[in-house]
Amino acid sequence: MTSSPDATIAVHSLWKVFGPKADTVVGTDLAELSRADLLAQTGCVAAVRDVSFDVAPGEVFVVMGLSGSGKSTLVRCLTRLIEPTSGSVLLDGEDIAQASPKRLRELRRTKFSMVFQHFGLLPHRRVIDNIAYSLEINGVGREARHARAREVIELVGLTGYDQHYPEQLSGGMQQRVGLARALAVDPEVMFLDEPFSALDPLIRRDMQAEVMRLHRDLGKTMVFITHDLAEAMKVGDRIAIMRDGAVVQVGTAEDLVARPVDDYVADFTRDIPRSHVLTLQAIARPVRGDDDLTGPRLPGTTIVRDAARAILDSQHPVQVVSGDDVVGVVTKDEVLRLISADDPA
Amino acid sequence: MRHSRPTTRIALVAAIASTGLVLAACGGGVNEAAQEPAAEAPAAEAPAAEEPAAEAPAEEAPAEEPAAAAPAECGEWGIAMHPWVGYTASAQVITNVAQSALGCTIEQAQLDEAGVTYDAIEAGSTDVVIEDWGGGRWQEWVDRGAVQEVGNNGNVGLIGMYVPQWMCDEYPDISDAANLNKYAELFVTPESGGKGAWYEGPPGYTTIGEKMIEANKFDFKAINTGSEQALIDVLTKGSEEKTPVIAYFYEPQNFLAKVPLCRVNFPANDWTDAAEASGLTDYPKTELKKLASTELMESGSPFATLVQNFSWTNEDQNQVALDIESGTSPEEAAQKWIDANMDTVNGWLEGTGASM
Amino acid sequence: MSAPVLEEAPAPPAPRERWSLHRVFSSKASWVLVVLAVWIILGSILSGIHTLTLATAAQSPFTSWLTEVASAIRGNRTESVAFVYFFNPVRGGIEGFIEVIRSVIAVPGAGDVIPVIGWLGVIAIVGFVVFATSNWRTSLLCMALLFACGALGVWSDTMDTLAMTLGSVALSLAIGLPLGIWAGLSDRALAVMRPALDLAQILPTLVYLAPLALVFLIGVASATIATMVYSIPICVRLTSHAIRELRGSGALEAARSMGSTRWQMLRKVELPMAKRTIILGVNQTTLAALSFVVIAALIAAPGLGKPIVTALTIRNVGDGVVAGLAVVFLAIMLDRATTAAVVRSDTILSDEGRVRRRIALAVAAVAAVAAIILSRQVLWAAVFPPALVIGEPVGAAADAATEWFTSTFSWLTTGVAEFLTVWVLNPLESLLVNSPWWLTVVAISLIGLLIGGRVVGVVTVVLLTAIVVIGLWSDAMATFAQVLMATAFTMIVGVVLGVLAGRSAKVERALKPILDAGQTLPAFVYLVPVLALFGPTRFAAIVCGVFYAAPVVVRVVADGVRGVSSDMVESATAQGSSSWQIIRKVQLPASSKSLMLAVNQGLIFVLAVVVIGGLVGGGGLGYLVLVGQSKPELAGKGLAAGLAIVLLGVVLDRIAQSSARRRS
Repeated sequence: MTSSPDATIAVHSLWKVFGPKADTVVGTDLAELSRADLLAQTGCVAAVRDVSFDVAPGEVFVVMGLSGSGKSTLVRCLTRLIEPTSGSVLLDGEDIAQASPKRLRELRRTKFSMVFQHFGLLPHRRVIDNIAYSLEINGVGREARHARAREVIELVGLTGYDQHYPEQLSGGMQQRVGLARALAVDPEVMFLDEPFSALDPLIRRDMQAEVMRLHRDLGKTMVFITHDLAEAMKVGDRIAIMRDGAVVQVGTAEDLVARPVDDYVADFTRDIPRSHVLTLQAIARPVRGDDDLTGPRLPGTTIVRDAARAILDSQHPVQVVSGDDVVGVVTKDEVLRLISADDPA
Repeated sequence: MRHSRPTTRIALVAAIASTGLVLAACGGGVNEAAQEPAAEAPAAEAPAAEEPAAEAPAEEAPAEEPAAAAPAECGEWGIAMHPWVGYTASAQVITNVAQSALGCTIEQAQLDEAGVTYDAIEAGSTDVVIEDWGGGRWQEWVDRGAVQEVGNNGNVGLIGMYVPQWMCDEYPDISDAANLNKYAELFVTPESGGKGAWYEGPPGYTTIGEKMIEANKFDFKAINTGSEQALIDVLTKGSEEKTPVIAYFYEPQNFLAKVPLCRVNFPANDWTDAAEASGLTDYPKTELKKLASTELMESGSPFATLVQNFSWTNEDQNQVALDIESGTSPEEAAQKWIDANMDTVNGWLEGTGASM
Repeated sequence: MSAPVLEEAPAPPAPRERWSLHRVFSSKASWVLVVLAVWIILGSILSGIHTLTLATAAQSPFTSWLTEVASAIRGNRTESVAFVYFFNPVRGGIEGFIEVIRSVIAVPGAGDVIPVIGWLGVIAIVGFVVFATSNWRTSLLCMALLFACGALGVWSDTMDTLAMTLGSVALSLAIGLPLGIWAGLSDRALAVMRPALDLAQILPTLVYLAPLALVFLIGVASATIATMVYSIPICVRLTSHAIRELRGSGALEAARSMGSTRWQMLRKVELPMAKRTIILGVNQTTLAALSFVVIAALIAAPGLGKPIVTALTIRNVGDGVVAGLAVVFLAIMLDRATTAAVVRSDTILSDEGRVRRRIALAVAAVAAVAAIILSRQVLWAAVFPPALVIGEPVGAAADAATEWFTSTFSWLTTGVAEFLTVWVLNPLESLLVNSPWWLTVVAISLIGLLIGGRVVGVVTVVLLTAIVVIGLWSDAMATFAQVLMATAFTMIVGVVLGVLAGRSAKVERALKPILDAGQTLPAFVYLVPVLALFGPTRFAAIVCGVFYAAPVVVRVVADGVRGVSSDMVESATAQGSSSWQIIRKVQLPASSKSLMLAVNQGLIFVLAVVVIGGLVGGGGLGYLVLVGQSKPELAGKGLAAGLAIVLLGVVLDRIAQSSARRRS
């Protein structure tokens, strides 16, 4: 994969090997070994194996994998909370992996920020001072940083809670503080490490909506880690599926469902309702001569579920268009087949 | 920390304020008031001295001009307190006299005998040992100029092995050491490993029990009792419950007046340094010594003169010690003796310009 | 049983193998028993040979060399470079520092009757400071406790002890906190400090008084330094633990991800988050310092230790108890004052609450200042009013109670003591003392090897041989016998009470004040009653050891039993276990690690009072330490005895710890 020049983040051949003499693995035959063989032969564990991907400006890029797949290590390598063994992480063309400690601190203070699964709030500071922390360590004066903190407090809907201590807040509210803290420095990129995994399902749904709203309003580039495929598909523009430290497939939700590269991905996406993911493009069949082209026209990017009512109500096949061109038609048959496949019963 | 930051700040401000106020209030009234009648303040604490002090301080002040001047020069001195009652008696008497007649500030420090105390004197922590049994163990410190011998204190010490009086009544020949083996079986305890239990003196005391047992081939085992209290307990029990016991003891010790003991006699003493004792002969009579720091003796303080002059008999010491043992506080017991023996005390004060 | 049944289902041979010789000898416990049996048999055959006994007044080559060294050190105090440029200035500095504090609250200046601040002022300051750092309830309690010390008639001794404690704590924290933080941050620093920390934990307190006094002389400086030696390791340990337990915390990672520098991390994140545990460390450091300042009366430290030591010599239990009570009051005060600061940092006040508190603080400050001024101007506020002193009746009551107790029960205690001495202590001591030294060294080392593995075996051989070389073998073994027996009793007491306390909150609450007092009461307070009850015997020394060690052991066992997960207990209950079965089959086995820790602590604490045991007829090494302190001609023997106690401690600690490790 070659990185496009305008990518905000370009990760190239990133490795993280834990264990004795970890640096002797990459670039040798050992790198080709499976996880188990590598462990047996060298005592090393490759948590991140040769990972490369690009994130476009303003994109929400999701890294999805089961626990132990290396996704948390990956995001920590991107922010260098864990030192990568080799590879590069370009942020606007600058290699984070090579940054000096001083430069790294500058980057952390200004260009990117992180949200953690267990919030990572400072228990001894009030909400406002938690949020203002990164401004404080960057030398911003008390008045200025509190003013900025109050802005983001409002942004995440925590108005009135600025004088509370973290332990006085519910989990969802604590994570709002985590979000606000990450937004306080107005970063270019946000890394979110399973931000909602520790929350109750209902609150999780609210928070997902909140992140999507913030993304819509602020347009931040985001790298979002999760183990929940539904969440990944909900918030992500593109999704990378990781397994045993390596990226198995990168693509849109539809790509993964419609065109899984292997059984692993297929297995993963099996329980995802197709109709929720696939677009009309994916299920449309080419126009045949006997098709009645008087039915309604819908864009090819429409999700099947959203178009279902219109298709089922229509007497004629729905025309799927890309721009002004009709690229295919969808009939009741295709929709019903898809929906019945979603329901294994 | 939490929100305690403002609290801490307030605390700081308050602390500063209070320090400032304290400084402003300097010259504490209590101390100033105390300084005016000079020597009278500490004297007022001793009940016997209360009357003259309370009644006519103004009247006596001019008459006592030299005396009042002398105490001002006495200064602060320390006296070592050793762990036996006789010592406490001597030390308390001299402390009372120094405080009330000379206006000295005397700090009493609990110190073990000998090495510990000599070190303390060298360190300047204390100045006087009023009763030392140790036949020259202090030489090293004298050589270094830290400690001076100040002569005898008048008491004569005699260490020996004792049994309760009832044993001498029942077994008349037990008072001769040569017969001890005959009775060894009586003294067996679980502690003594099948032999007679021979209770030795506490750690700091001069003891040659192990040598005596070996030289005389006694069928006894020396047991290190560890404290004088232990010896007293053992002997008291032996007397009251008529259990056979043989133990190290010494005079002057008022305990001898309370519990009748019988001395076990060895051939006449022929040594002074315990290291050279054969073990066949008895402990020697020892003239007990006074020691003091060179600093005190060369200071010209009247307290030095008092220490130099101090001397009393075994009987005197026993009187005070008996009072202390029976529950009177050392201060009161000492004062009682001082009041009854003004002449002796005034003799000690000769050369200081002060008197009781 | 008929043959066909056997054919149908051939019984596995396993159950029979349990009894085979092979199985017996493959288990370690059996090997230990074999070693013991051989030791006992050979020991009784060879009894009295090669026992290396040394008379009290006799010296070994090593001890006479040490005596000369001690004498040389004393002789060099005024001239040698080390003293002139290091030891003496250090002594002077520390002494000056403590004297300044003492002059403020404890010692009147020349010609004065009160120190800078009188009693009312001191109580007011303490009350204000505690109020400012915690709350008014604790503040009132602390003031009441201090007042009680005055009412006991020991105000000035209490102030001396307080001054010494505060001074020592300040110095200990000044050194201990930075070291602890460093050890918390850096693995390498911890690795360097660890041996010293481990040694400090098992170093019996009374052992280093003599060497310190040799260098820093008797008095305030030595006492302070000895206190610091005792309390700094505690401070370092807990501070380092406080920082270390944050490792892996999300907040730390988050702060790092925001670009904090190392210094910012420490100052704004790690220290504030570790504050709670660090304050706990300060609390422990303070209590340790207090208990040591009292003991330091043996090297002429001023304060409450003084009357306690005197009480021992002139049989004045009352005075000793009064002073002991004051020590306990002071301990409770310092404990509550420091822990309340932790609780305080957790409470969150509303805005109006904060305003109210500020007003209260200001009022309290004004009151405190007024009290200080009053205490300098008015006699009743300066010198504790004698009319309020009730020390004497309290002392007399304690005297009478002790008298009654000892005269009523001494027949019983003497009987029990004699029985146990004849049937347990004497045989044990005979085995250790009368066996040839080489047999004992080999036997103990083999047991060490079996329990703890090769390293422990080698350490044991080396250290025991060192004791032989020192020349105090026989005394060391006599002490060893007492330590073993005292530890065994301590464990019996500790397990019984610990299990009860661990299982019932009610028992725990009832025991708490007793344990608190037991841990803070200086060891020599109970010497007089113990002497009266048991006479000058080795058993009396053992009783002292048990008194001293039991509170700690009870705590450790109770913690262990409480720590057994309630799931385990619930499931055992659900299966119909009786209480006794739950204790025996669930709670004790599941807390075996705590039990081993308790054994280790018990050994160390018993060993710490071996010297005290020397005061009540325990003989052995403890007695030699005391002899060495008072007889300059035997100084080396005392120092060597101290060294032997430490060596014995290391051996026991290693064996106990390794067996604890193996169990976990």
